[in-house]
Amino acid sequence: MFRDVTFGQYYPADSFVHRMDARVKLVLTLLFMVGIFFVQSFAVFGFVTVFLLAVILISRVPLRSILKSVKGIVVLLIFTAILNVFFTKGAEGEQPLWSWWKIEIYVLGLKNAAKIFLRLVYLVIGSCVLTLTTTPVDLTHAVESLLKPLRVIKFPVHEFALIMSLTLSFIPSLIDETDRIIRAQKARGADFDTGGLVKRAKAFVPILIPLLVGGFRRAEELANAMNSRCYEGATKRTCMRVMKLTWRDYVASLIVAAFFAGVFLLYGMADKWGGIIWLYY
Amino acid sequence: MSKSRKVTPPVTDVPSDAAIYARDLNFTYNAKSDFAKHALVDINLTVNKGEFVAVVGHTGSGKTTFVQHLNALIRVQSGFLSVLGNDLSVKKPDLKALRREVGMVFQYPEYQLFADTVLEDVCFGLKNFGIDKDKREQMAKDALELVGLDYEQIKSKSPFDLSGGEKRRVALAGVLAMKPHILVMDEPTAGLDPRGKSEVLDLVGKLNRDEGVTVIMVSHDMNEVYENADRVLVFREGNLAYDMAPRDLFRMEEEIRSMNLEVPAMAAFCNELERQGYPLPDSCRTVDDVFAAVLKFKETRDV
Repeated sequence: MFRDVTFGQYYPADSFVHRMDARVKLVLTLLFMVGIFFVQSFAVFGFVTVFLLAVILISRVPLRSILKSVKGIVVLLIFTAILNVFFTKGAEGEQPLWSWWKIEIYVLGLKNAAKIFLRLVYLVIGSCVLTLTTTPVDLTHAVESLLKPLRVIKFPVHEFALIMSLTLSFIPSLIDETDRIIRAQKARGADFDTGGLVKRAKAFVPILIPLLVGGFRRAEELANAMNSRCYEGATKRTCMRVMKLTWRDYVASLIVAAFFAGVFLLYGMADKWGGIIWLYY
Repeated sequence: MSKSRKVTPPVTDVPSDAAIYARDLNFTYNAKSDFAKHALVDINLTVNKGEFVAVVGHTGSGKTTFVQHLNALIRVQSGFLSVLGNDLSVKKPDLKALRREVGMVFQYPEYQLFADTVLEDVCFGLKNFGIDKDKREQMAKDALELVGLDYEQIKSKSPFDLSGGEKRRVALAGVLAMKPHILVMDEPTAGLDPRGKSEVLDLVGKLNRDEGVTVIMVSHDMNEVYENADRVLVFREGNLAYDMAPRDLFRMEEEIRSMNLEVPAMAAFCNELERQGYPLPDSCRTVDDVFAAVLKFKETRDV
């Protein structure tokens, strides 16, 4: 029942992207996510598409598993696109493309909807490339390492990273447990699929309570296990695998930075180069 | 592996005394993807009403997949399965009727307790199956007493305040209260101390003998299988490798070990006695049985 929630999970492979430093990947992904909002024209979206496809190709992650994660936000995508189509007013004096009663559709609305749609899809794909090529462990190490400067203001960086990694590692076992509890209650005649809203909501009580109790039990067991090994948090802990930048990271950073420098430049110059219609739509 | 259901000719000749009747039962996890795993391959078997059947096999051998079919928690993909006359290979079997007749006790059943009081929790199944309120209490009381708990003392306690052994019994009572005709249990004794184990097994044995309940018990403990079951189903890589009486099965010590299963201590002892020339009857499975058999043998020789 819950097996398909696992989108964006690490896809083991040996590629340029997999071997990159998780910190660099995280920063570049953030840059990509910001950069995507500075893309204004369909022509530049074309460049971004080619760029993303190249990254995916290099990462050796099958396109199918990336598209699967886009499937998860399909409802949101359609919803935002429709809103944009209906609520964007055209320029002064522009004739609507199609109108009925108070609903008017302008060319601009269609264009905006398409752009928002592309942005959201690329946001999801970008973050998926990160999580598909980086193990959760590496990712938390990267977060910890990047947040280190916050120690100056007494932010518990290590504890934060620990909470993050524990959360990630508990997800699969909680999914398993949910599955098991659902089966057990079904075997006792529980019915989750019929009845009104209230009845259905009530039907979830026999799942939620054992799940919560189980969660607390696991947490307590883990706490005991850590205590009995004298776990002490951030004090003088070292990492088994020290993260180090390699030539890959420099090359990738340079390319991505150059690409988005171009994007930002086009954004800034849009007014001046307005005449070049294919760049600024 | 083709995606479509295999066409199975309608099976009409289900023996009337069969509790479970499976023909060419197949099941594949993730059938459409590259990770397809054949969990059950052409399973054919019949379990008669009133039998005590143990299901054994290595982890991932398909035994859990099989027992979950019996309650329609896993639906038949291809092949034919009939449980107490309910054809489970049809698209919409009557799940309520089936689940009332087939009680299922999962591994660590105490983790499914949820209600405020023990009585409420035991009544959960009865309520779901639409049994009247006044009748429910009586049935819950019977079930709690059956598992050896003091009804008056325990009924209004929170199930979360009980000890581990008591929780397990309350969970068992929650299933037994429905008076199922078939009792399916997935490692009912896991994590219990020796005394708790033998109490659970005694209870199950009693239900089987006195009430005629058909018992299907998944177990990793070959000693408990040997001493309690009438018949053992051995699963290996999705196939039903052996289906025979425990005494016959555990005579094949080599085959048992090659499947990463243990030979029960009593079976090894019986086998050794047989090799030394003591004829033992096939019903010989506990210390007492063997003791009696050896005494009898000595008497006949002394005379």
